[in-house]
Amino acid sequence: MSTAYRMWEILERAKTGPFMEEEAFLPKRFTPTLKKLIRKYEIRYDPETPCPADDAMADSIWQAGWDLFREVGYYNTDTHRIIQVSDEEIREALYTAQRRYWVGAGRDARRFGHRTVEDPEPPFCIMSPDITVDEKYHASMCMAYLKEPLLDGLCGPILEETFGHLIESSGPTEISGCIQHIYNQKMAARLVGRPDIFMVAVGTAEHDSGQIAVSNEQWGVQKTDARLVGGLTEFKTADTLLNRSLHYAQYGCFTGHLTGPIYGGWCMGAEGTAVAIAAYSIIGLVVHGAVFNQHFPFHLNLGSNTTRELLWPIAMAGQALSRNSKLIYTSNGFANAGPMTEMLFRETAVHAMVSTVCGWNLWEMASARNKYRNRATPLEARLGCEAGHAVAHGGLSREQVNEIALRILASYEDQAADAPIGAEYPECYDVAKAVPTPEHLDMYRRVKDEIAALGVPFPY
Amino acid sequence: MSLEALSRLVEEGEAEEAGAAAKTLLSDGQDPLGMIECMTRTMARVGDQFARLEIFLPEIMLAGEALSAVVAEMAPYLEKAGGQRIRGKIVLGVVKGDLHEIGKNIVKLILETNGFQVEDLGYNVDALAFVKAAEAMGADIIGASSLMTTTMPRQKEIIDILKEMGIRDRYKVIIGGAPTSRLWADKIGADLYCPDARSTPDLIAELLK
Repeated sequence: MSTAYRMWEILERAKTGPFMEEEAFLPKRFTPTLKKLIRKYEIRYDPETPCPADDAMADSIWQAGWDLFREVGYYNTDTHRIIQVSDEEIREALYTAQRRYWVGAGRDARRFGHRTVEDPEPPFCIMSPDITVDEKYHASMCMAYLKEPLLDGLCGPILEETFGHLIESSGPTEISGCIQHIYNQKMAARLVGRPDIFMVAVGTAEHDSGQIAVSNEQWGVQKTDARLVGGLTEFKTADTLLNRSLHYAQYGCFTGHLTGPIYGGWCMGAEGTAVAIAAYSIIGLVVHGAVFNQHFPFHLNLGSNTTRELLWPIAMAGQALSRNSKLIYTSNGFANAGPMTEMLFRETAVHAMVSTVCGWNLWEMASARNKYRNRATPLEARLGCEAGHAVAHGGLSREQVNEIALRILASYEDQAADAPIGAEYPECYDVAKAVPTPEHLDMYRRVKDEIAALGVPFPY
Repeated sequence: MSLEALSRLVEEGEAEEAGAAAKTLLSDGQDPLGMIECMTRTMARVGDQFARLEIFLPEIMLAGEALSAVVAEMAPYLEKAGGQRIRGKIVLGVVKGDLHEIGKNIVKLILETNGFQVEDLGYNVDALAFVKAAEAMGADIIGASSLMTTTMPRQKEIIDILKEMGIRDRYKVIIGGAPTSRLWADKIGADLYCPDARSTPDLIAELLK
């Protein structure tokens, strides 16, 4: 926990901060403040430019995000109290935050760090299907991701069943499912020959007890791994979440802060979504002591973030964070289309390129709106991470990425609402060998060639 | 003051002014049933705008508050006119272990503005609490939302408890939430899967026929 020195003071405020009824917090406090700040800082969304190169706007979004957190605070739904911090505490936390960390261990250790806008250093690539899978495919899918050359970290698929029992949050089956999850993930890493690779685990845990159950240096989540603590949309937390950040800090692993501000919800439009992302990053650092922030802003109706009204806030918030802090943050793609569709490959590439050029690290890729069991594969993550590396190594500018994004968007944007859900993992991968089918590989290569022809210099 | 002006105030979410305008119109002899029809059209329009995200959640919530202010003024007049027709009674909540309620709140608003009476149980609601609340309300429907795959089994728990208590036939059980599906609804024996907030009132009305 990067701000562990203030942990108890922050936790105390979750019990002693100003009281407010929960029903009033968002309509009376959050949204009016956000609206006021968007006006004050003259933040304007331009749908013609999904990847803007606007430094002044980026700085305004950063300042608006800072003000939003300081003025609104963070609501604890268990105590009905608002956690508030001062400007001085924010400045202190930002000063003490580290620019980079070594994660994973030994030969598999990687440097996970802050990136600049148009950084020639490639993004740190965490791969994750983000979806649930059948118990019988879980280990295979973990191995398939770990076979990806550009993977720097793995967040494995989520289990719905453990030894035939449906997993129920906060019940015994969740404890068992979480242990099974980390065992599969660690076993897969050893079998693939990357035993100490960085992991973010375990997504199967919805309740704090599930996370706490897998803290173990011998067989579980190690101190060189990371765990996530989520936020409740928007600007809310709860004791079960604070329990996690406390445990992660005391155990000694890396903490990531997971947030999904909603376009169309209490954040309103693209401007509010961008400001909220910036604010959430500061919240992650100050409230949860997160060493990285993992953001998946998404569209209220579509549940995705690969259309322009979401690419814009991703682009602008990335630049805001990059230019004004040394924070580390990952951009989590949510696509409309499902596996083994050309649309999914295109969506992933656009999300990854826009994110990379704007200072993000990558977290790819939730497909089919993260809704359907078994519908994700490593191959879309591969293309996304290759596109990210291409943008960095090739020295592409925001303007160049914007032009490329516009051309690719034209091929899928109008299908977003009715996107194909694609195929399931065993239809696109040889489950036993954890490798893609020839048909799936052909499609990947075809779309990669098409994107390369637009001026994306893939490294290989 | 006219019904059109009242409609504009509701659309703009001006609760206080809308309430005052409704009061004036009613005391001037405006037919309350005509006012209800006007408000229904207004909220349908607002709902359509929200469905297309031409307006955002805060705006539709404010419009809902303004509508509530109008309905509060109409209540005594409606009683005299024979009462307001309620399309159905629903207890609605997010299942145990799940703290995400934005979807449930949108559904609640859409249902209320479409003539359903909703008792909001909040989030992290125990399965038995759904059943007890439905009994206390005399509800037609139990609505259970889940946003996490590991909380979806709690939707099934509600149905299991209803069966155990021998009252499964007394309530329709409807489910929704991002990871849920028609397939899941069928698997657990729910009566209806609600894919989105917008279509929910019509789907429920059909179910209650």
